[in-house]
Amino acid sequence: MTTTKMPRTMELPRPLKVACPYESAYQADVIVVGCGFAGLNAAVTAKEAGQSVLVIDKGRPGYSGLSPWPSSFRWFDPERGDVAEAYRKAIQEGGDYLSNLNWYEQWIRESKDVYHRLTEWGILAQYPKAAEAGDYYEREDFVGYRETFDRFDRHKKWIEVLNRYEIPFLEHTMVTDVLLEQGAVNGVMGFHVPSGQVIAVSGKAVILATGGGSYKPTGYPTGGDTFDGEYIAYNLGLPIAGKEFEDFHQTPATAPGNVFFDNHWQYLENIWLCGGDVAMENASGYGAAKGNVMVLGRVKKAVYGVPAADGSEIQDVATAQYTRRGGSRVYETDPEEVRSGKMSTPVAASALAGAAVGMCCHLTSGVFCGLEELDGAAGIPGLYTAGDGIHATSPSGAAYPCGVGFTSCFCSIDGMHAGKAAAEYAETAAPAPAAVSAETIAKKTEEITAPLRVEQGFDPNWARDVLHSIMAPYWVTVAKTEPTLCAALTQVEYMRDHVIPKLAAKTSHDLRLCIEMKHKVLSAEMKLRASLARKESRGNHYRSDIPYRDDEKFLCYITVKKGENGMMTEQVPIPAAWAGNTAMPYDKRYHYYFPGEPEAKGFTPPKPKFGGKRG
Amino acid sequence: MSVVRVDLNKCIGCENCVNICPLDVFYFDYEAHKSVLAYPENCQSCGQCYLNCQGRALGISNDTFGYPITAYRGVSMAPMNRVIITESGMVTEFTKGKLP
Repeated sequence: MTTTKMPRTMELPRPLKVACPYESAYQADVIVVGCGFAGLNAAVTAKEAGQSVLVIDKGRPGYSGLSPWPSSFRWFDPERGDVAEAYRKAIQEGGDYLSNLNWYEQWIRESKDVYHRLTEWGILAQYPKAAEAGDYYEREDFVGYRETFDRFDRHKKWIEVLNRYEIPFLEHTMVTDVLLEQGAVNGVMGFHVPSGQVIAVSGKAVILATGGGSYKPTGYPTGGDTFDGEYIAYNLGLPIAGKEFEDFHQTPATAPGNVFFDNHWQYLENIWLCGGDVAMENASGYGAAKGNVMVLGRVKKAVYGVPAADGSEIQDVATAQYTRRGGSRVYETDPEEVRSGKMSTPVAASALAGAAVGMCCHLTSGVFCGLEELDGAAGIPGLYTAGDGIHATSPSGAAYPCGVGFTSCFCSIDGMHAGKAAAEYAETAAPAPAAVSAETIAKKTEEITAPLRVEQGFDPNWARDVLHSIMAPYWVTVAKTEPTLCAALTQVEYMRDHVIPKLAAKTSHDLRLCIEMKHKVLSAEMKLRASLARKESRGNHYRSDIPYRDDEKFLCYITVKKGENGMMTEQVPIPAAWAGNTAMPYDKRYHYYFPGEPEAKGFTPPKPKFGGKRG
Repeated sequence: MSVVRVDLNKCIGCENCVNICPLDVFYFDYEAHKSVLAYPENCQSCGQCYLNCQGRALGISNDTFGYPITAYRGVSMAPMNRVIITESGMVTEFTKGKLP
């Protein structure tokens, strides 16, 4: 007789007590918070400069935040014929003239060094893709493919690099506060999430590399990025820029909440090498094509609606053509050119703004350190910022016209600058480190653990869902108007004042969620106020009630800052040299037009030249 | 869309899911030497746990775990009610009393 053993799908109870693997106090010259591309490069650079470094990550380095997900890496290579002027034109025009060209120049100078560095670390190792390596693709054997190419798995390299440079790190530990002593950095505090143990770290310099964020519920891999660094920086009085520019990673119409479905092969395969695809003759069209697909495609679906699905819009992945995105123009003829472009095994077409609601536009959002500041110095002695979502470097301006693979490279450069500057500060200028006082530890511990003492209150998961339902509608994120933004702001202010103080935690897991909700609500307020302040449309900020660019008033960054009477916004004009030729006719200066823009500005648009499925 | 347990019997206790999950969804029972899918409502469906599960005890479902939007909602110490597949079909187990 044959017996069949049924699968056991019931879970064991959650263990009530979790041991903390860490001490309650540490000391380091440079503390790096967050360990993605920016954090890893910052930590190694500071260590190479001779300083002691401690890395703290809310998850596990290599697997947390957005860093596990890039599928491409782009660098500038003059030896292969790349032309800086061409790429600058593409970025400047495609970024709707808000690109920070100082940072762009940094990328031109340093991106190739980063390529060599990450290659040496094994992060850019190349290996056969799923469709060309046995039958993993046909059988959809994701786990088997990963196991076969386990030795190349880039996600493991983060910890290998940290170990190689003897940099200690705390995992699953959330930093909630940057501590100051007499106006200068003196350390950080936070807690180990699984156990709830509070941890204090004293140090001379802190690099916030905490990543970006979004208003997603479960559904897109930025759940580890919940504006933690932005919240800390705002409450230290620092200006936050770029909040009005909304970007989205779209998800399949067939599974709009399914991240794995949208990303599996790209996550598992190598990071594709990109660049060399921009020349003077295609520079204007390059940025315009990106804008047409990535900006207008989304906007038009919001304004005009989405066609009813009949099945024909679903890409047949078995017969899909392999595209080559972002590869060198001479890849096929120059045997020494390695920049093939992105050639991932295809997945179902991304078509809708599904689970991904309102992520920041890459590199545009975060702490604004000044137009000339190129080390991420945040304005407080010893405090530095680096990376996507936390440092508003804005090389890509109001949209993201850079082509695939720019962000992973750029964040590495940003991290190296912050690491070098923080190490120099720690070496030469920092006050002697003082251990975090018992009084400070007691005060901050009480603040961090406050939700555990709320006896009657609300579930942070519920608050997350409610905030999402306020921020997700297209009239708040994609096609904004004054009244809809004001309505959302009223709701967010209500949550800030009446819900956040009543969020209750019964476990340290809940505690993390409660604190993250506080951060998300503040960020939502910033996003709405910045969107209200930019009374024009530009790049990834579309106001359907003001559907045109206003060069006279808004060739500027908008910052939000903590004021005496609440949140305030300010304008920071950009240098004239970054603004392009403002005397050009409007319809020649800009290469794609928002719905309603030609009518408002009185010109007839040409027929569209570009298209794309991602739109 | 969230992680699901395919078969707890297959969990070999490698702890990869516990260590890799960015959202603190997994815990570990050192007595049973098994991982615990403790907070599926916080799963972001990235699939990293599933891809790295050495026992192949986890899967990815196209369904999202979540509660309905309500006027308000309190926190609970009790684990959620769980749907269990038994030989007689699918049943819901309701939590009784407090955790041990």
